[in-house]
Amino acid sequence: MSGLSTSIADLARTPLVVALGLILALLVLGELLSPGFASASQIMRLLIVASILGVVAAGQNLVILGGREGIDLSVGGVVSLSAVIAGNMMQGSDAGIIPAILACLATGAFFGLLNGLGVTLLRIPPLIMTLGMLGVLQGLLVVVRSGIPSGLAAPGLARFVTQPFLFGVPGMIWLWGAIGVLMALLLRRTLFGYRVYAIGSNETAARMAGVPADLIRVSLFVFSGMFAAVAGFCIIGYSGSSFSNVGAQYMLASIIAVVLGGTPLSGGKGGYTGTMAGAVLLILLQSILTTLNIEEAGRQFAFGATLLVLMLFYGRGKALRG
Amino acid sequence: MPRLRLEGVCKRYGATVALGRGDLSLMPGEVHVLMGSNGSGKSTLSKIIAGSVRPDEGVIECDGSIVTIPSPRAARDLGIAVFYQELSLAAHRSVVENICLPGLGHARGLFRNRAEMTAAAEPFIEPFESVLGEGFGLDVPVGRLRADQRQLVEIMKTLAARPDILIFDEPTSALDRAQVECFMAVLRKLKADGKSIIFISHRMDEIFEIGDRVTIIRDGETVRTSVLADTTMEEILRTMTGEEATGPAAPAVSAAVKTPQRPTVKLKVSNLVAPGVNNVSFEVAAGEILGFGGLHGQGQSAALRALFGAAQSRSGDIEVGTTRLTGNSPRASIRNGLAYVSGDRARDGVIEGRSILENTVPIYALKNHLFVASPRSLGAKAQQALEQLQTKYQTLFHPINSLSGGNQQKVVVSRWLMAPPEVMLLDDPTKGIDIASKAELFRVLRELAAAGMAILLYSSEDAELLENSDRVLVFNNGRTVRELVGDERTRYHLYHAAYEAA
Amino acid sequence: MSLPSHAMPHQRSVFERFPFIPALGILAVLLLLNGIAEPNSMSFGAITGLTKTYLALMFLAVAQSLVVFSSDIDLSVGAILSLVNVVVVVLIERLGGGADAVLLSCLVGVLVGTLAGVFNGFVVVGLRLQPIVATFATGIVFTGLALWVLPVAGMPVPQSFWRTYGGRICDIPFVFYVVAALGLLIWLTVRTKYIIQLMAVGDNRLAAYQSGLPVTRIRIKAFALCGMLSAVAALCIIGDTASGDPVVGNAMTLYSVAAVVLGGTALSGGSGSMLGSAIGALIIGLINSFVFFAGVSSEWQNFAQGVAVLVALMAGVLITRRISK
Repeated sequence: MSGLSTSIADLARTPLVVALGLILALLVLGELLSPGFASASQIMRLLIVASILGVVAAGQNLVILGGREGIDLSVGGVVSLSAVIAGNMMQGSDAGIIPAILACLATGAFFGLLNGLGVTLLRIPPLIMTLGMLGVLQGLLVVVRSGIPSGLAAPGLARFVTQPFLFGVPGMIWLWGAIGVLMALLLRRTLFGYRVYAIGSNETAARMAGVPADLIRVSLFVFSGMFAAVAGFCIIGYSGSSFSNVGAQYMLASIIAVVLGGTPLSGGKGGYTGTMAGAVLLILLQSILTTLNIEEAGRQFAFGATLLVLMLFYGRGKALRG
Repeated sequence: MPRLRLEGVCKRYGATVALGRGDLSLMPGEVHVLMGSNGSGKSTLSKIIAGSVRPDEGVIECDGSIVTIPSPRAARDLGIAVFYQELSLAAHRSVVENICLPGLGHARGLFRNRAEMTAAAEPFIEPFESVLGEGFGLDVPVGRLRADQRQLVEIMKTLAARPDILIFDEPTSALDRAQVECFMAVLRKLKADGKSIIFISHRMDEIFEIGDRVTIIRDGETVRTSVLADTTMEEILRTMTGEEATGPAAPAVSAAVKTPQRPTVKLKVSNLVAPGVNNVSFEVAAGEILGFGGLHGQGQSAALRALFGAAQSRSGDIEVGTTRLTGNSPRASIRNGLAYVSGDRARDGVIEGRSILENTVPIYALKNHLFVASPRSLGAKAQQALEQLQTKYQTLFHPINSLSGGNQQKVVVSRWLMAPPEVMLLDDPTKGIDIASKAELFRVLRELAAAGMAILLYSSEDAELLENSDRVLVFNNGRTVRELVGDERTRYHLYHAAYEAA
Repeated sequence: MSLPSHAMPHQRSVFERFPFIPALGILAVLLLLNGIAEPNSMSFGAITGLTKTYLALMFLAVAQSLVVFSSDIDLSVGAILSLVNVVVVVLIERLGGGADAVLLSCLVGVLVGTLAGVFNGFVVVGLRLQPIVATFATGIVFTGLALWVLPVAGMPVPQSFWRTYGGRICDIPFVFYVVAALGLLIWLTVRTKYIIQLMAVGDNRLAAYQSGLPVTRIRIKAFALCGMLSAVAALCIIGDTASGDPVVGNAMTLYSVAAVVLGGTALSGGSGSMLGSAIGALIIGLINSFVFFAGVSSEWQNFAQGVAVLVALMAGVLITRRISK
């Protein structure tokens, strides 16, 4: 009896379960406050927004999982830049989709590689390295944007992102689902995944067991850049054309989604499934605060306060006394 | 009336008992020596008095009244100051700042006065003036000092609190003879001033030179307090080890070395120098278990870690089989057939929070260049290795934290059994694990040795070390001081060598 | 027994005593480059203008460095700045805009900033949350409060305020008095006993605790001081922009961290220099102005700034590490 209740109590402390429970509660709350909030079409729209954040958070998740203060502040820059590059290369034509996606991926990988090399070879703390890179990316954004005035999404991409694609679900959500499955396979069914957790959980032990920690860490930053690039590419399909610094909002949002999904900033724990729930939770929270029809001030206040309360659920530090 | 009295003080960490029953009475004007074998609870006892460890039970009396010591700050207010074995210095702060640090909060005024601080620190530096060595300066950041100089600063910092009760936990381990002399003079002065001193050291000569009484701790319990002048080294060692000087040697274990033909050398180490290791050379034959003995932290661990490529720097010649080991990294060592099992599971072994499977396969995967992790095929192989050690677990997918300490360590050892090495380096592998697991582990180790593996074993548990090693090298201060073979493999001889009593 | 010790001076090396020297070097080079690129940029008026613009960031960077010394970080400094900005502006308006109203409002503003800092300290140290995410969340809360106080940017401050800030006293621009005050503040702070304790906590938290330091109180105090100085930064912003804006500081948070690193302070805590952080803020300003004066075409300016800041940051980390070895 007590065994059962403790296992339920343990379950209730699992971040994924907490996040899913909160999602459900927020949906019910939203429906009560504003009927139609939890309708299928509304949820679909919400999921599209969440999926873009979710893709950025996938990379962020990997970097954070790898530990040693891993964090990528440059994702927002990559998102913006790749949105502009994609728009400029497509110029509203479907023929441009393939070159555009390749260009975006290459861009993301390149900047991720720079981050990774700075963090491992020069041992620059990730926070500083990626903060500096963010400045470079924002500068590059200006260059690319003013070179060619404005880009336009290919109609095929816009359809893929916003219109029902298969079983009435937009392609973007399918893509997110596929990324979810791939991430789960990568993290759980490959030695790469094992090693990511190993360096994040205990780098010393991992090195003692022959894990090439630096190589793994560089690849995590490359992944992060590439995921951010994919998200930037998809954003232009969502909004139709690129606008200024669209990625800025994703920097801290992606970190929060990861943390709410149960991956602590110290790394080595958690996974992408939780992060997906975290992304949905974050978008849902914002959307409900919008629905509540309160002013921006109240929305921000409630949002910040809710985040603080949620953080109390997740790993707190140790006390100094033995 | 004793200045400090402890009665029945006890501290447990989960199932492990760090200190079972600590009784102590400390008089004014005495140097009270704490002695005990490794892991007997000396440090725990001093940390409880220091306020940095919370006791589970027991009474502490200070000057006749019962007190609780909830924090180091409270200990300070009671007039207790502690020399921490692992030092409590801020690397970027200067010598003077470190010495004055504990008193800063108590002194009046918002601003520091450099001249005043220097003046406050100087009386405590002065006794050591002649032995400070090159590079020492009042204004030098502590992080730039040598190990012995840092240790002197920690001593000065302890003295600067002007306490009535001083605890010195291994204060002389890095000091040379002249520095020790100065320190002894300081201790004598404190004693004359009526201060009470608890003294922990691994140097028998110092203990007899300065100590008044000795309390001996065995297996977490204080067993006896006696006046040092009325006792002998032999008597203390006997009480500490619970053994007679000429007691029976531990049973011989391995038959491998006794085979008449010259055994093949599996590991040859010449002039190994690394942090904490000072020019160590030895050979291990196939099938042999070579023990590293001595008190904690005399270079046994450091030597094993250096061999495995886990030390910052390393010099000397290492040959595994016939190949010379190049590359100072665990990865390179693994490729060359070395394996390393650390007693500090949490730091070096266990990949916290991950599954048993993930914790078992990394070496196998590395040696076989795997990319896809198929739980089924990997699981079958992992299971085999785990069963060899009779590891108890529910499924391979349970997190390693769900296991007991002993079983966690078995998982770490299984890691190496999946792809057996030539030489196994065991760095206190059974620290904090249960007896059954220990027995299991050593049964397998002997099998491995019998099959031709060379094994290096350091254990902080003397019985275990003596029982399982064919030979024992005794370490002191980063060097090997003695080799125990045959009948010499007794606790008495071990501590005789360890305490530099020879 | 004693080891050869050729390279060990008996005193702290110059770099250890003055960790801001590399930053000062970078600053000198940038001044020179600016002077070469555009002699006018080194005119008294131009330098006054630069100081006016970057004074707030200087205060913010100094504020951030206090928290970084104890190995924490505060990502809410920008939001605190915004909050204090609107509180002061609205309060001046409500109190009628007289001289005493301005002074009272400024005091209240500093108090608000300090309280915000104490709240951060409580959340990070008391509740033991990770400083990065926790102060990010408190930053959102502060932004919410700022928006509640003043929903949209606007609401001018009385002339007297910005006239004073932009004006001169005894023929010396007012901002230089503020810079001198900041200098004095830094000079005094590094001479307190508190800063030694703070650094010791950042160096090795457990060792500091074992030494009997009140670690919790020391860390919370750092957050409080950080909030207080962020509030002063807000007053500088008001002087510069002459109006209230509920999100004016939010973009400055990351620059404050960058300035701290540029100034030779390691994010791992335990060492560094507040003066360096102030210099770091000026370096960011000078990089921006140099890129402008060097004739980089307008579209490449931001990129050039970004690259220069990144390179300076990396150099800062590498030099700081080399010195502390």
